[in-house]
This record gives sequence, C-alpha cells and structure tokens, in this order.
Amino acid sequence: MSEKTRVPTAINGGPFGQAWSARADCLQSLTGALLGAFLLVHMHFEASILLGKETFYRFVQVLEGGMFSATGHGWPLVTQIFSVFILVIVVVHAALALRRFPVQLGQWRALRGFMSNIKHKDTRAWYWQMITGFILFFLVSAHLATMILDPEIGPHLSADRVYNGHAWILYVVFLPVVLVHGLIGLYRVILKWGVSNNRSLIRTIAQVLMIYLLCLGSLSLITYISIGSELTLPVQPFIPK
Amino acid sequence: MSRKITFNIFRYDPQDSQDKPKMERYELTETDGMTVFIALNQLREQQDTSLQFDFVCRAGICGSCAMVINGFPTLACRTLTANYPDGEITLMPLPGFELIGDLSVNTGKFMRELAERLKLWLHPKPDDQDMHRLENPMAPEEAARIYELERCVECGVCVSACATKQMRDTFVGAVGMMKIARFEMDSRDNRSADDFYHVIGNQDGVFGCMTLLGCQDNCPKDLPHMQQIAYLRRKMASTIL
Amino acid sequence: MKLIYTDSLIIGAGLAGLRVAIATKERGLDTLVLSLIPAKRSHSAAAQGGMQASLGNTVKGMGDNEDIHFQDTVKGSDWGCDQDVARMFAHCAPKAIRELTNWGVPWSRISAGPRDVIMNAKKVTLHEAEEAHGLINARDFGGTKKWRTCYTADGTGHSLLYAVDNQAISMGIPVHERIEALSLIHDGKRCHGVIARCLVTGELRAYVAKSTTIATGGYGKIYEISTNATICEGIGQALALETGVATLGNMEAVQFHPTAIVPAGILTTEGCRGDGGILRDKDGHRFMPDYEPEKKELASRDVVSRRMTEHIRKGKGDDSPYGPHLWLDITILGREHIETNLREVKEICEYFLGIDPCKEWIPVRPTQHYSMGGVRTNATGESPQLKGLFSVGEAACWDMHGFNRLGGNSVAETVVGGMIIGKYVADFCEQNALEIDTALTQKFLDKLQNEIDNLVDGKGTENPFEIKKEMQRIMMNYVGIFRNGPELDKAIAELKALLLRAKNLGLKCKKRHSNPELVEALRVTRMLKVALTVACGAAARTESRGAHSREDYPQRNDKDWLNRTLATWPNDESLEPVLHYEKLDVMKMELPPGYRGYGNDNNIAHPDTEKRTQEINKITAELGNAPDRYALQQALMPYTLPSHLQPANERLSDTLAVIPSQPVGNKSL
Repeated sequence: MSEKTRVPTAINGGPFGQAWSARADCLQSLTGALLGAFLLVHMHFEASILLGKETFYRFVQVLEGGMFSATGHGWPLVTQIFSVFILVIVVVHAALALRRFPVQLGQWRALRGFMSNIKHKDTRAWYWQMITGFILFFLVSAHLATMILDPEIGPHLSADRVYNGHAWILYVVFLPVVLVHGLIGLYRVILKWGVSNNRSLIRTIAQVLMIYLLCLGSLSLITYISIGSELTLPVQPFIPK
Repeated sequence: MSRKITFNIFRYDPQDSQDKPKMERYELTETDGMTVFIALNQLREQQDTSLQFDFVCRAGICGSCAMVINGFPTLACRTLTANYPDGEITLMPLPGFELIGDLSVNTGKFMRELAERLKLWLHPKPDDQDMHRLENPMAPEEAARIYELERCVECGVCVSACATKQMRDTFVGAVGMMKIARFEMDSRDNRSADDFYHVIGNQDGVFGCMTLLGCQDNCPKDLPHMQQIAYLRRKMASTIL
Repeated sequence: MKLIYTDSLIIGAGLAGLRVAIATKERGLDTLVLSLIPAKRSHSAAAQGGMQASLGNTVKGMGDNEDIHFQDTVKGSDWGCDQDVARMFAHCAPKAIRELTNWGVPWSRISAGPRDVIMNAKKVTLHEAEEAHGLINARDFGGTKKWRTCYTADGTGHSLLYAVDNQAISMGIPVHERIEALSLIHDGKRCHGVIARCLVTGELRAYVAKSTTIATGGYGKIYEISTNATICEGIGQALALETGVATLGNMEAVQFHPTAIVPAGILTTEGCRGDGGILRDKDGHRFMPDYEPEKKELASRDVVSRRMTEHIRKGKGDDSPYGPHLWLDITILGREHIETNLREVKEICEYFLGIDPCKEWIPVRPTQHYSMGGVRTNATGESPQLKGLFSVGEAACWDMHGFNRLGGNSVAETVVGGMIIGKYVADFCEQNALEIDTALTQKFLDKLQNEIDNLVDGKGTENPFEIKKEMQRIMMNYVGIFRNGPELDKAIAELKALLLRAKNLGLKCKKRHSNPELVEALRVTRMLKVALTVACGAAARTESRGAHSREDYPQRNDKDWLNRTLATWPNDESLEPVLHYEKLDVMKMELPPGYRGYGNDNNIAHPDTEKRTQEINKITAELGNAPDRYALQQALMPYTLPSHLQPANERLSDTLAVIPSQPVGNKSL
C-alpha cells in the first residue's frame, strides 16, 4: 500500500546546515586528492636514492631551500613546517572521512551483511580503503611525528633512521597500506567528480601505478636498509664530493 | 541438455510469528531456454505452493522481479538458468526493502515515498500551451537524453546494490538522484538548480554518495549513474561555491 | 467489516485507470485506486511501439487528420466498432498527446532536413520541414494510411505510464497496492463498490464508492502463450460478469500479434515492421508480398497473423523444439537505428534469445496479444445495465476496436478514453449520492469469505494450477487464430467440465494471508467463466470478422452478424453464459460497411448498406463542391463530447506555407 506514511526527514548536513555537507564533501575530496598527489611525488622523491646518494642529497637540498641558505644545505625547518602542513591536511581529511565510517553498530552490521550477500568489487575496494584509512591515521601520525621531531633528511641520516632506528618496520607496513588507500582514493575521486568517465582506463592506471609504486617503494626501502647496514656509528651526514 | 539444477531459496514469512528465516533447497530439471521466472513458477506449481515471489511482465520491462541471484541483484525474469554452469542458484530477496515474504519485497511503497519526498514529477512552466494547440518544440537531442534517463524501471536494484544506502536509511539512493537528474535536464521543468539543491544538495543526496558504483554496475537498464550523479554533484557544489 | 469510503473508486492503476483517477481528483472528488501491483509496474508499461494520434508533423504524416484516423480505425475494426466512439477517440487523441507532453513525456522528436528510412526493404530519404523541427515524430504502423504512431523510442508505454503516475502522485492520489478486487457490491441496478482482498495480509475489505471504474486490462492469460503480463487474467471482466447483470461485449474478439519471440512469447513491437523490418520464412523468402501485395508486412495485425499461420501450415515455418516459427528481419535497419529506436527489442533478443538482432533474424510467431472484448459500456464509459459501474481501456468494450485493433490504438485508447470517461465519471459522482447499504455490503463480503473458507478448510482435491494450465491449453488449441465449429464445441465442453472440477478446488497451503495458491484458486474459477464467454461467443458467431476467423464461415456476414455479442452469466450454478446481440445501425454510420482492402472482397452485404451509401452521397452533394470537413462530419454522424474537449486540433499544416512534397514509395490505400 502506498498511502502516505512517514517520510524520512533529511538530516541536511548536520549541525552546520545544508551548505556544510557540500563543503565537507568537496573538502574531503580536495584534501584526498592533495594527499594522493603528494604521495605520488613523495614516492618518487625518496626513490631518488636509487640513482645514488648524490642525487638524493641534491633533491633534499633543493626542497629544503638550499639555494637560499648561506651554507647551501637548506634548513630542516622547511621539512618541519611542511610536515606540520601535511599533518593538518591529514587531520582534516580524516575528520571529514569519519563521517563515512559506520559509527553505529547497526550500520556496521548492515555493511557486513551487504559484503557477505552482494558481490561487488568497488564496494570491496572501498571497504579496504576504509580499513587502510583507519590504520593510516596512526601510521601517518607516527611518520610525521618523526619528521617534525627529527627533521634531518639525508642519504645517511635517513638510512640510519630506517636501519638503526628500526623505522623499516613502520615502512614495510606503511607502504602497501598507503598505496591501497591512496590509489583507490584517487580512482574514486576522479570518478566521483566526473573528471573522467572512462572508468576502465582509470582503474587500469590505478592498478599499474599500484604495482609500479610498490616495486619502487620496496626497492628504495631495501636501498636505505643496505646503506643503513653499512654505516659506521656514530652516523656522519653525507657530504657530496 | 536436461540437467538437474539446484535452487537455494530464502524462505521467511514475517507475518508468521513461529517462522524463522532459512534457506531451502529445491531441485528441478532444466529445460531449454529456462529463466528463473519459469523455474520459480514450476517450483511453486509442483513442489511448494506457498513460495512467494513477484513477476509481472516477465520480459524485463516492468521491474517487479529484482532479487539477488548468486550475489548479484538483477531482474529474475530475464536471467537464464543456463548462465550458471554449476547448476547451483541461490536466490535472496532484495536487501533494503520491507520484506513481504520469501523473495517478495515492497519496492512499490519505497518508490512512492521517494517520489513524494523528492517531488519526482515534472513541474511545468506556467506558460505551457493548452492541448488544442501545437505542442512546444523540443530539441530532438534533448528528448533522446531525457528518455535515456527515463528508462529506469524502479526495480530497486541500485538501492540494494548500494552499501551507502544500506548503512543510511535516509540516503535517497541512485534512483532518486537519477530521477532528479532527469527533471534537471528537462527544459520543460520550471525548477532551478537552487530548488534541486534544496532536495539533494545534502548528506542524504549527492554529498552523501560515496561513489561505490553498485548502482551503475548492477543496473539492468545500464543507466549512466556514475556520469549523471557526478554531473549533479558538480552542479550542486557550484551553487554554493 | 472494514469499510473504506470514497467518491471515485478505480480498479487498476495502468494508464486508463490512472487517467480516470486524475480526472476525478481534478474535480475535487475523493479518489482511490486499487492495484494488484505498484502502479508503475502495470502492463501499460510494456507497450513499446507507440500511440496513434493524427498530429501530422512528419512529412509522411502531412495531411493527416481526425477523419483519416477515424476511417483507419473503423476499417481496422472490420466495421465492428461503435463509430461514435471511434469519432470521439480520433478527435481527442492529439489532445491527449499534447497533455502528456505537459506531464513530462519526452516523445521522439523530428529533426529538420533529410533522414533515411527503410520502406519496402529499400532506403528512402525523407525531407522534414524546417518548421517541424522539434515537434513530435511519428512512425509507420500497420493498417494506417499515414505515419501516425507517436513514440518515445520503443518505450512509449513506459514513458507514458511514468508521466501519468507521476502526475497522479503529484496530486496525492492514493494507490492501494497489492489489493485484489474480487466481487462487485451491487443491488441489480446500481454498483456500490467492491469487496477486495489484501494480497499481503489476506484481509477482506469493502470499498464503497459512488462510482466504480474497472480498468484492469485484458484477459490474455486465459491463453497458454500470450504477450500479456502475468496479471492480465480477466478478473476485471469476471467482476462484471459475476454480477449477472452487467454484460461483456465481443469477448470472442481476441487479437494475435504477428511477432512475439519463440518460445517466451514476449512481444517485439510492430514498430519493427513499421520502421522497415520484414518477415521471412524458412527459405529466407519474404513471403508477405505474395499474400498482400499492397500492404505487405504492414497489413492489419489480424491479417498478418493469419497469413503467417497459413504460411506455417504450408510447411514454410522453421522447426524448433517449440513448434514451427517464422523470422523477423530487422538487420536491414542498421545498428544505429536499432540501438536508439528499438532498444527494448534488442535487449529482449539478447537476454531471452542470446542473439544480436542487428546481425541475426528474430524467431517469431503470432501470439495472443490483445482483448478487444470487455465490460460493455456506452459512449460515456458506463455499463448500460449497472449504474455507477464504469470501465475503461482494454478492460472495457467501449468499442472503438470492434473485431480488430490497430497497432498504436491501445495506448491511445487508455489515455483518450481515460480523459473522456474520467469526465463522465466525475459528472456521475457529482450528481449522485453515496449510498451505503451495510447489509448488502456484508452479504457480498460474507459470500467471498465463504468462498475462501471453503478453499482453505474444505475437502476439495482439485489443483488450481493444473486447472488453469488445462484451460490455457484448451483456449490455445481450439479458440486460436483460426477457429471452427467442432473445435469450438470441444473447447466449450472441456471448459465446462473444468468449471465443474473447479468447484472442488483444494489447497495444499492453508495460510489465509500471503498465499499464492489461494490467489490462484480464487482467480481460476473467474478466469474459466471469462474463457467460456470467449469460447461460446466464438462458437455462436458463424462468420469471420476481424480477428475472429472461422474456417467454416470465412465470409464477413454483415447481413446477419453486423452486431455486438453481449454475454451475461445467469447465476452461480450456470456453466455457460447467456448470449444476446446488439445490432449496429448501418443507417447511422458515417462509414458504411465496405471492402477492407485485404484478400477477396466476398462480404455478405447488409441490406441497408446501399441505402446508407446513397444517403451519404446525397448529404455530401448538398453541402456543395468542397464541403468543410467538420460540417460534413456533423451532417453525417453528429456525436457528443464534453465541451472542454470539443475545440478543433491545431496542426502544423494549418500554418505551413509550403507543404513538403511526398517522397516516392508512399502507401496507397
């Protein structure tokens, strides 16, 4: 029977009104896209160690504003400030993403029920994105805390942190988790706003990137570990020839 | 040719306080060109007269018979049993709707309430002509575009294939957004982007959608959900920015 | 007893029912619709090809008007229709189209300039007028002189039903879904509503109303293979029949559609042939021109179906496990056309046959499709016997289709009939008071309760599913496209035996709520009565007219059979209906009986035909050389319409400076 029964009333975007939900959605996508883009750049930046200590050093030098400093080394403060900036974006992104989490038990049950009854790949992908997002919040915090408290970056200093500081344990987990989260996120944000409607192409690119970045990241990590294992204590910063 | 096939069918009569949800197994001999429609009727006529399900046109046009077949929500009337080489077919009612019994759910009530809530009808411009005079011209391309979206049969598949909708009851789901998109593109409709924004520019509308794309992937009419919802999202976002 | 009161009660939420509901709601009347299913699932949605209305926008429709639409409809009916009604209909069809446009139907539109079409298996280029750009397009359909069938791709019924239901929702018209009306409350003179059963809870309710409108569609499912939806079981006709007072008209007039797919019996639209598709036999030979050299595949449906059956009987059908069939070839239309204008057809071919119709031929054969017969009404849609009982659409025998319906006239009838009859229903509701006779209502409710008790608690042993299957088989085998005396007698005898068996029905599932077996059992008895009126009507009518084709009486016999069959069911114990006949008055016809244009002209003429023809010639001559067509029509056969529907229809050709030239290959008639 379709006599008029109770019509569910819209939440209209919570305490800040309707416009808030639009802004929240835009901001979540924007911060996500920004973090995703940063991830792609970051992965390549640290992989420059594969081209030798010298290349990596030059990169750090440029990024830390070497050309403006008297010594030519730049200031680790730049890393610190940038890390704080990224942390702020991550916090905003995470706070907005929390809206999507199944916070009530009923919602969680509905999701689990859905996952077991309906076979749908993209929903499964989102599910993993959500799980990895949750894990990432801790991993990113840990990673960024290091960068803020101990911002010295360099072929030797970084390798030392990875090897002697046992940060490799963090990165072994971090790498796949951040790639799963970031690439599924980029794929979805592109489709979400209709940047491209060629879904199969975007999916293929995401899959290729996933494999490529996983290899790239693993190789870089192995390189740092091997550099770290060859270092003599106490570690001296790398000096280019 | 005539192999035995097995049906696992969800059985539950919510009006019978003694009854509990369960799966029941039925076997029958497959015939040439057998659809789930033919099979279910045969089961009801020959094995269990209490079996409840809904079919009307049995030609994939009316949208009555959507159910979850081996994990995929789809129209049962045009699903051939030959599509399942192992001869095992599991049938579940569409999740997210009021269960009438066994495989029968109340999609009609849902769709009517949605139409009333979102005002899913043409709001004609006041200057519309009377019926004795020549009709207003409409660009042939526009008419074709409108029909493309109007092909929705309200089967409910997009609702049950959407994890967001399953978790949040007040979410309007793809069917609601697609219908808004249909009226939004109709030059005869008097509503402005602002009017539509008030209806779906919120957490229960386009900004609550997580682009999981269960709608797009399961829609039996292959409607362009991803593209249209993205279009609406951009349009709605631009009204507040 | 649960009682629900309303002014206007409508049974059936398809196009016709909803259109009446809108008409009464507009007048401020309390309106309530009952439906077996959600409104948008109604069988109206399955109409693919289009709706006829003489807009005359396309170059191939130029010069069309109400007169030509009227003539096509009367000829199509084999002069069996009510010509007043056909006139009312033809005049209002363009209005209905334009009203629907304002409610949201997009319609496929005309693009100015050249467009390629397929005609008689050849490519022809049409040039559409600049002024026609963006106006409503039309395609060719069988039995029409002009291209008159307006369409929305091949989802016309769907787009109409959605627009009309949306309109009903916007007006707040309640639709009680999953409710089945099972008997009419009446006192022998006036109808007071219905007793209905909720298919979910099993609750019985009395809906008491000033007017009751039956809009339940046809009775195709009394046949084994039908293009109809599972719900088209003739329960609406049975409601009227079981009163013993109201009559059913022309129940033997059952249409078979030429092109339903084999074996599923799902329709592929006439638009396939209208757009240029052709029929082929097992040798790939295009056979229709051999039988109907002029109209070929686009002869009237009854004619094409018979020709196909004849051809199959000659052994020219292709064999399949489901019997022989022929082929529909639309590959010549090209992929682009099929994927835009024949999408549903393509989907149906892909899902049910696993073929691509752009490359392969579609296996088809004639299949039960439409019920011209139904609840007999007068021109206002009201039963002549039972005041307050109205009927509209396929459910009714308003009688614009006579013995054969033209493609595209059924969708048109639902909305046009709904528009006109809705007005009369509203008038009735305003002029009459609600009469509540609780004792009478209780009597009908108790009777139904009793019927259900007997089924659930009784000792019956017959299986309702088996009886239904048996009935469907009998109808298929003996009351099909070609009929003859001995087979029809056999059908009647077997159906009667089944009706007797049906008095001993027993259920395995004893639930009183949501019990599909109970639903089936309640319906099968009613369906059998409807089937018997079809079979008896067919046996009695010893002539061939339209879709009613008797091998033993192949001529159309206007002398003895220019009439309408009326059937009543005397009482609960009867095993067959009583038939009476309503004469059609040739002297009042605008178009006296004549040659329909197919096969041999061997009709047995009516004695008045000659007289009436002379009279018409005289009237025409009196009006001078080039008489105004409206004045001529009025002089020949004045008819009435509600005043707001009377104004003339504007057409593009009224204002067009230059009428575009007709391309070659135009149909002659």
